[in-house]
Amino acid sequence: MAGKYFGQPILRNEDAQLLSGKARFIDDIDLPGMLHAAFLRSDFAHARIKKIDYSAALKRSGVVAVYTAEDFGDFWRPGPLQVPPPTAIKGSVFNARTLVPIAKDKVRFSGEPLAVIIAESRYIAEDAFDDIIVEIEPLDAVNDLEKALEPGAPLVHEDLDSNLAADVVQERGNYEEARAKADVVISRKILVNRNAGAALENRGFVVEWEERSRQMTVWATTQAPIPLRNTIAARMGLFENQVRVITPFIGGGFGPKIMTSQADDVLLPWIAMKLKRPIKWIEDRRENFLATTSERDQVHYAEIALTKEGTILGVKDVFYHNTGAYDPYGMTVPLNTQTHTVSNYRVPNFYTQIKMVFTNQMVVTPVRGAGRPQGVFVMERLMDAAARELNMDPAEIRMKNLLIPDEFPLRTGIIGQDFVEGVLDSGNYKKNLEKTMEIVGYEKFRKEIQPKLRAEGKHVGIGIVTFTEGTAVGPYEGARVTIGANGKVNVATGISTQGQGHFTSFAQIVAEQVGIDVKDINVVTGDTAHFHWGAGTFASRGAAVAGSAIHNAAVKVREKIFSLASKIFEEPEENLEVGDGKVWVKSNPSQSMLLGDLALRANPTRGTIEPGVEPGLEATAYYGPPYGATGAGAVAMIVNLDPETMQVKVEHFVIVHDCGTAINPMILEGQVYGGISMGIGNAFYEKMVYDDNGQLLSASFMDYLMPQATDMPAKMELGHLVTTTPLNTLGIKGVGEAGAIPTPAAFVQAVEDALHGQVEIMESNLNPSRIFEYLQKKQ
Amino acid sequence: MLPEFDLVMPENLQQALENLGQRNPGVVPVAGGTNLTVDMRSRRHTPATLVNIEHIQELTGILQEDDRIEIGSCVTIAEILKSPIIAAVAPALIEAARGFANPLIRNRATIGGNLADASPAADTAPSLLVHNAQVELWSKKNRRILPLDEFFVGVRKTVLQPDEIIKSVHVPKTNRPSASSFYKLGLRKADAISVASVAVYLEKKNGACGQVRIAMGSVAPKPLRAYAAEELLTGKHLSLKLIEEAAKLAAEASSPISDIRGSAEYRRRMVFVLTRRLLTHLAEMMELKDW
Repeated sequence: MAGKYFGQPILRNEDAQLLSGKARFIDDIDLPGMLHAAFLRSDFAHARIKKIDYSAALKRSGVVAVYTAEDFGDFWRPGPLQVPPPTAIKGSVFNARTLVPIAKDKVRFSGEPLAVIIAESRYIAEDAFDDIIVEIEPLDAVNDLEKALEPGAPLVHEDLDSNLAADVVQERGNYEEARAKADVVISRKILVNRNAGAALENRGFVVEWEERSRQMTVWATTQAPIPLRNTIAARMGLFENQVRVITPFIGGGFGPKIMTSQADDVLLPWIAMKLKRPIKWIEDRRENFLATTSERDQVHYAEIALTKEGTILGVKDVFYHNTGAYDPYGMTVPLNTQTHTVSNYRVPNFYTQIKMVFTNQMVVTPVRGAGRPQGVFVMERLMDAAARELNMDPAEIRMKNLLIPDEFPLRTGIIGQDFVEGVLDSGNYKKNLEKTMEIVGYEKFRKEIQPKLRAEGKHVGIGIVTFTEGTAVGPYEGARVTIGANGKVNVATGISTQGQGHFTSFAQIVAEQVGIDVKDINVVTGDTAHFHWGAGTFASRGAAVAGSAIHNAAVKVREKIFSLASKIFEEPEENLEVGDGKVWVKSNPSQSMLLGDLALRANPTRGTIEPGVEPGLEATAYYGPPYGATGAGAVAMIVNLDPETMQVKVEHFVIVHDCGTAINPMILEGQVYGGISMGIGNAFYEKMVYDDNGQLLSASFMDYLMPQATDMPAKMELGHLVTTTPLNTLGIKGVGEAGAIPTPAAFVQAVEDALHGQVEIMESNLNPSRIFEYLQKKQ
Repeated sequence: MLPEFDLVMPENLQQALENLGQRNPGVVPVAGGTNLTVDMRSRRHTPATLVNIEHIQELTGILQEDDRIEIGSCVTIAEILKSPIIAAVAPALIEAARGFANPLIRNRATIGGNLADASPAADTAPSLLVHNAQVELWSKKNRRILPLDEFFVGVRKTVLQPDEIIKSVHVPKTNRPSASSFYKLGLRKADAISVASVAVYLEKKNGACGQVRIAMGSVAPKPLRAYAAEELLTGKHLSLKLIEEAAKLAAEASSPISDIRGSAEYRRRMVFVLTRRLLTHLAEMMELKDW
């Protein structure tokens, strides 16, 4: 598939601007007459609001306005259900309680906005916090997922009978029958802890209402510019083309920036229109921890039934999923867990049940991995428990049960986040594992290295796991490709970019078709004035879905180049060639034309055109898959554990990954390494801890530790395999979440192995003290 | 965002002490500001006036005296890290500086600030304690010198009066053969608050252990010495068994809490492990090992 541009590790177009500090981020935006917003947030996680008195704040010099829920009148209403539940799953229960923009009558999580203050500066706005008197009646908080469903538990939403947000059962085959036939049945309770997205740049929102042109411009750090534009327009009673959403450069997304109904999204456009002045809000880190969405936090009761030879007969998994105080994002996360629990193994009988629970914690929406790491963690832990029980090697039991290419496409019987039954399109799962074992030297480590090091008193262990990554889901994306009279190309698509390298990878797709250098291709993402259809950047879909739309548009432009040049040169199309910014006749290269000149000719201003001919070297195209493409891989990790301090050092990390065709292998590696660092963070460093009162104890980077360069593995190796997907012309599968998905499972397995199997660990987030506690309990 | 405050920029120590002289708790000295600005941004601490002492000459520099060195309270952690004078007198303090936060913070944070903040996890405290450091405190009316061990009172509490500042930290020199070392256990290799830390200072006398001092951080309301352990070792030949016993006494002297970084049991055990490791390491280094 690799060509002159496509598939090459080309340096990124955007880096010169980013690395020299010349890129514009949202906080760089400064408009004449701009006001600043600050949100007064609740200290309590669960409480009744008695009274909020802000009269003193209005007297403070520089304060322009203060609003509470009551002040928004009819405009105050719960936000949209951003992702509806899949109606295809029969018998499922889903109680929609969408996020409210600002607390009214009741507070449901610590950090929920109580009042918004608009002032001449952010300093003044925050000083005014002290002027506001909030009378509140604290209520018992709901935190424990299982206790939340017990009778008599305090209710997060008092109009419901319980804290149950959803109950979804999916089954293929018949687990109970399989269980009855099994030689071995293993049951475990498995915990997956809560993690933040923690993008380097927090969220931000700037809005300007231009009264005379009746145009609203919004700059936002959103992953979903078009849905944000649509919801703002709908809420404000404007046409879509009266609202322009622009995403400047964004310092990381990781999921939470997909939300379109947080306080800033909803309230600031209304206030800007009312005050007729631009308003800016930049989130601080504490706000980001408290009141931007985060993920994980599930409790699983899982069971695996096998023959004594280690063949899986069935898996049952009943799990509690924390959705936080509201559920605006439907069931995307737990559905991903359901689809990823058994996806890579042959499991003929599978019963999976979601019990989604409301708690007095921040709302849960996808964070890189988005439910997939939970499913993989549960399944891989079950496999390890089974291997121990059956006295098999962890790699051997996996190899025995992995699906093989002949089985694809495989209908899974489980409906996923895109509301259709999952289909595994392609892949070579055994080869992923084989290659991983080969690179890490699995056999040699087990047979020679580990016994020798153990004899020296070292505690070294290896973890080896496999995973899939459902990616590239629908519904669709679109793009417009235009060759300008300057001979350069403009590409516009509806998704936004948070660091994925789209300005280069998308340009490579186009360059390959139109024969214009990547440096001369300008990619515009996240500006609704440039392209106004699309869904957004999520679910590892940018490269595969938007990339395919861009490819389709570029192919159309190529066809237009050949068609017009054929007429001008009076040569059949097959005699023409395109490259280096021009088109020429193969047999007579001196007969050529610059593509810029051809673009001018494609847009005649006098004369006539043939029927059906569209002007310009321009085309718009869309792409929507019937279902998502599934990437896959395997990970091996060798750790060295200090048996006294329980500090863990990752000595060697190997990932073999298959995401189909690579557009830019360098960018791809960066994505995978980034995911691994997030996975290592999830396994050993990063943990959101709420106390019994619903207070977030880890609401700063002092307490929420992300791994740094010094904590990365001493040796990292990445192996690529390419199994192209038949779902799109380019054969691309997504990769954005790959590294984050398998890493906690591999880490925990390696730690157990380093401890000679003395303890069994059934939770995803460890730290030295936690490992110490496991060993203590054992003694 | 920082709350509103007045900033006073005194030109010399006398002016700074005048400013603090009213004993008004709303008037607070600031140097690197690496603790204070964080507390102010989160509005946990909202002083009305900051007195910037960062550039006051009397508070900077490292002085060599015959029997001690005097480290100005506004000497930064980065300056400590590259000071050959400190390396010769208090190697454990260099180790503490090396593991202190990150390079950006080390360029701003000062030794006086780290001590005045009185976090139980203050990285410089255990090393200074084992070197028998003293703090020289000045106010408009009064000057006093206190052993560092008497300076800390509890979690973020010291004997420092509202009109007082730390002028300098004294670290005694010794002619006797000695060595010191510090180890910080954090949840990340760099830029992490310690879960437990231990410093050990050891002198060699007649082929046995002379004076020995052990101090611990993050395992009690304040950084503290392990006196019973020290007593056990003084004058003895260092066997592994004796070292273990001393480490046990150190662990018993700690009174840690459980928090999100680690449980009390883990911390107590780590005092034992780190004390034993440091004593073993120093005994080997000083050729004092009796095993």
